[in-house]
Amino acid sequence: MIELKNIKSHFPIFQHHPDLVYLDNAATTQKPKSVIDAISNFYEKENANIHRGIYPLAVSASQRYEAVRGKVAQFLNAESADEIVYTSGTTASINLVAHSFLSPRLEAGDEVIISVMEHHANLIPWQMTCKNAGAHLRVIPMNQLGELDLTAFKNMLSSKVKMVAITHISNSLGTINPIAEMIDLAHQNNIPILVDGAQSVAHYPIDLQALEVDFFTFSGHKLFGPTGIGILYGKKKYLSKMQPYQFGGDMIKNVTFEETTFADAPQRFEAGTTNIAGVIGLGVAIDFVNELDRNVVRSFLKKMESDLADKLLNVNGLSVVGQAKNKSAIVSFSMENIHPHDIATFLGAENIAIRAGHHCTQPVMDFFQIPATTRASFSIYNQAAEVDFFVEKVKEIKQFFG
Amino acid sequence: MNERLKGLYKTIILEHNKEPFFYEKNEEATYVLKAYNQICGDRFELYFEVENGVIEDLTFHGFGCAISKASTSVLVKNLKGKDFVKALLFCRQFLSATTSEVESKENLGEELEAFSAAKEFPGRLKCATLAWDEMVGFLENGGRLTVDG
Repeated sequence: MIELKNIKSHFPIFQHHPDLVYLDNAATTQKPKSVIDAISNFYEKENANIHRGIYPLAVSASQRYEAVRGKVAQFLNAESADEIVYTSGTTASINLVAHSFLSPRLEAGDEVIISVMEHHANLIPWQMTCKNAGAHLRVIPMNQLGELDLTAFKNMLSSKVKMVAITHISNSLGTINPIAEMIDLAHQNNIPILVDGAQSVAHYPIDLQALEVDFFTFSGHKLFGPTGIGILYGKKKYLSKMQPYQFGGDMIKNVTFEETTFADAPQRFEAGTTNIAGVIGLGVAIDFVNELDRNVVRSFLKKMESDLADKLLNVNGLSVVGQAKNKSAIVSFSMENIHPHDIATFLGAENIAIRAGHHCTQPVMDFFQIPATTRASFSIYNQAAEVDFFVEKVKEIKQFFG
Repeated sequence: MNERLKGLYKTIILEHNKEPFFYEKNEEATYVLKAYNQICGDRFELYFEVENGVIEDLTFHGFGCAISKASTSVLVKNLKGKDFVKALLFCRQFLSATTSEVESKENLGEELEAFSAAKEFPGRLKCATLAWDEMVGFLENGGRLTVDG
């Protein structure tokens, strides 16, 4: 087990930037040394293309690549490694489902349900698929605290609905949605459901078999892994019937000029040479997370989030955007008459890394009638003292702008 | 508080941000020019009343950070009353002083030079030039709007 109090020493970035207060974890997490080493070791000592290579390096690279599939399946408690597809990230995973799963079964007049708090990545693919089919995109509303209206959701469910796609945790509000209940509701109406786990997978244990979710997506880089690697989990009964999204090498059984037989899932969705080093890095990132006591991590992050929110709420003219009952380690706020980019510039000069903007959730900003927020998001290497430092700097900025 | 930043956020910028010049919508405007930064969402509208090639009235309204708002306020204050040619030359002067790495020889006055500190913060340079870039496009095109909406 890795203790939280020593955790910073596992992340080389903090040796290079000792004063860095990194509060942009919802955008991407920092990488532990083990992940960085695994990637450079692969390129230095083990590099070869996977599959079909007969020489030892290729065989070993293929084995390691496929072994991570099993590791991901175990990490999420999927039934089998065949349900794990490697993609470039959450965005690619969702596009794959929209294109290969939903598009062929969507007809004019059908409906797809998403929520008002979706990241653009879990909005635009469905919006485009609906437009192409003449189907309707319906949106679950939320209240002023940033909690989804489940009654409205229940009322939307009907035989017209062909898909529900919902985020587990909102990246701009921090709301943890009641996905177990929402999955049940969708299934009572025989509707397949996708859960976007981009913000949840690092900190919240996922049990796919208990959830019975049909599709689940996440990105490696928000889980202490490299960028450019992500996962699509899909139930075997769906994946095996879906057509490939992209065509090319490594995804076939047999090819002639007249016809091609595709490989089985998941390989049929992995055309071309994939991000092999990224897969290996992701495997090591999962090893790293498995070394953490996730209950300790969760209560630590909860405390950081509520401490920061409480202290910010005491600052005059500051409002916290998103105050759901169940919240993850994300605090979004806005300050009267001070633009988030001005706040971010000042905090940046103090080595505090936060994000300012619409966070790829413009409809959320529209709902709260604000153009942008300043967002702090925590991870395992943050320190209690950083909360106080952050609040102190925010107060200074407020004073400076008068 | 960081001294370099204080250099960027000079009193002039803070004052313009707090109390911008000619900050109002104009329903009667001959033209409405939109300055929009899709990266950060800053969005201003500039309302023109033009007569015989002269900008008789110019106001603005919208939302943006302190730097983009102050910079738009300074633009409006300086271009009002100018003809298109003078206005274009003035905008180019401002942009070259603000973005060029070479020290500007022109004396633009304290109010305009405040923005040249944005050079030190490449992430914020667009904030200083947003409205000016749009204005140059408009004036170079003989005062016609090139893009709808």
